[in-house]
Amino acid sequence: MLYKILIVDDEIEVRDLLRDLLKNEDCQSVTCASGEEAMALLSKEAFDVVLLDIKLSGTGGLEVLKDMREKYNNLPVVMITGFGFDEELIGKSKQFGCCGYIGKNMPIAEIISTFKQIVKEAKQKGSS
Amino acid sequence: MGVRFPSPAYDIMSIDMKDIFSSLIENAAVLVLYLDKKENIVLCNKKTESIIGLKNSEIKGKNWLKVLFKDKDNTIKREMFKAVLDDALTYKRAKDFEGHLLSSHGKLRHISWNITPILNKNEVQGSLLVGHDITEIQERENSIKNIDDSLKNIISSINEYALYVINLDGLITYFGMGCEMMFGYSKPEIIFKHISILHNINRADSQLSLILERVRLLNKYESEIELITKSGEVIPVRLTVNRFLDANGKLTGYIFIAKDITQTKKLEYQVFQSEKLAALGQLSAGMAHEIHNPLFVISGRLEMLKQEKLVLGIKKEIDLIDTQVNRIRKLVNRILKFARKTTLTLEAVNLNEIIELALPLVNYNKLLPANVEIKKIFEKNMPKISGDPDQLQEVFLNMIINAYQSMPNGGIIEIITSNFQNRYAQVQIIDTGEGIAEANLKNIFMPFFSTKGHGTGLGLSICHNIIKSHNGSIELESRINQGTTFTIKLPFI
Repeated sequence: MLYKILIVDDEIEVRDLLRDLLKNEDCQSVTCASGEEAMALLSKEAFDVVLLDIKLSGTGGLEVLKDMREKYNNLPVVMITGFGFDEELIGKSKQFGCCGYIGKNMPIAEIISTFKQIVKEAKQKGSS
Repeated sequence: MGVRFPSPAYDIMSIDMKDIFSSLIENAAVLVLYLDKKENIVLCNKKTESIIGLKNSEIKGKNWLKVLFKDKDNTIKREMFKAVLDDALTYKRAKDFEGHLLSSHGKLRHISWNITPILNKNEVQGSLLVGHDITEIQERENSIKNIDDSLKNIISSINEYALYVINLDGLITYFGMGCEMMFGYSKPEIIFKHISILHNINRADSQLSLILERVRLLNKYESEIELITKSGEVIPVRLTVNRFLDANGKLTGYIFIAKDITQTKKLEYQVFQSEKLAALGQLSAGMAHEIHNPLFVISGRLEMLKQEKLVLGIKKEIDLIDTQVNRIRKLVNRILKFARKTTLTLEAVNLNEIIELALPLVNYNKLLPANVEIKKIFEKNMPKISGDPDQLQEVFLNMIINAYQSMPNGGIIEIITSNFQNRYAQVQIIDTGEGIAEANLKNIFMPFFSTKGHGTGLGLSICHNIIKSHNGSIELESRINQGTTFTIKLPFI
């Protein structure tokens, strides 16, 4: 197995798709629908990376990102968004310490390769 | 020169003409000055003394312009006066000139001067200045001009109004000021014609019977409606109708006052359009998100099908794609509904009936929480409004479903209809649900704004648009964990 991933998205179709796509890349995923569930899962299990939707209902994605960075400083979090490349959202995500950003409007192959690249770099940084 | 002029009481035979002229000049109601050719004062009369506040003896021999314009601030006025004076002396001709001077009481006086050069054998000896104090005349002229201007304003604003009277048979008996201008009919052609000529032919009967019924009940009708001109042009007006009583208090007809509100309507429309543009920005961002999600799922599933790396099996993958395609289709339809400039099919409707028709439709939505109680408190004598029944039904359906969804653990929905100030049909939908956070209140009618995990966030913005297009208003009050009250007002016909 390459990575163990926590997928957080409030749409079941989206998180199932991400899970299936990443399964084909030899990754194992756990999915959940909200920030609260994600924080609960992180306290029980160890993950290599979190894939987090920026527009979560309830506690928004950016708030969840902030909580994760406070509690799990070394955990890479990759943001995923349906808004396209919104400068303001990218700026805020970086400010709150996400290690990368992918848009749902990108071609699937590019989403996968970008995601893998971001995680690889984050891991190297973490271990060095 | 310099002598005091004789006192006015004397024997007419004993005086010579010089004394008479001297007396005349001294007591004249105009300013009289004689200047030498260097413009120094040789003599001035009482009127001049009183206006400039200096005695003849104090200013004699002094330069007139320096006496008149002491301050540096008056340089320009002095130069102008000097130019006229020089001109009169150089070209040896009389000049007229209007100027100001500051009186000894600190009041600005407006003086009309006549300057005459005094010649001796064609040589300039000096100049005679005669000044009329026209300050009061000017002030009077100005105030007349002001009155004139305000009268013109009053008259032009009257032109926005048309006042006409009908008798009990509905025939126009008086077609007053502003009417010819507003409707294009001349008095002779319209007097004793039936008033329905000014209304839309298809709606005249219902409009007029409603107007007269309301005047009978409430003594007054006031509403915004459309009237028709001679050329068939539709003009939006604010119409006020009162009873017309004779000296004995007997009803003899009705007085109509119509105010043309075309300009107001135009402005309202422009504001509405610009609000729509602002909403478009919000709409695009929301739309991008709503469409990217299903597109992402579709392209992801397709990619797996293409690469034959199926995780779920072919049937399941295709079903997932199908669902997402449907989702986009529905969304596009909703957006169209939102964006379309819907034409309303208006008819006289009773809001109570519309709500009664919407209520059973709520039950089709199986996802709604159970144990919600609906309480209806309806105004029994609700006047009708002019509305599109289908669109209004959609509004109330939407609002009631929203109220349900805000109470996942059950609660009470009160639907109260009432007559608001005899002008609006008011509907209040009150729930005991979760309420809306204050920060979200201002966005609640924005397209794609949703606090629910599901739904497109278009429902309330569509409701808002429908109510606005009916010239109505929609407002809300909300307290977290106590509930929300939506208040809709729609104008009576």
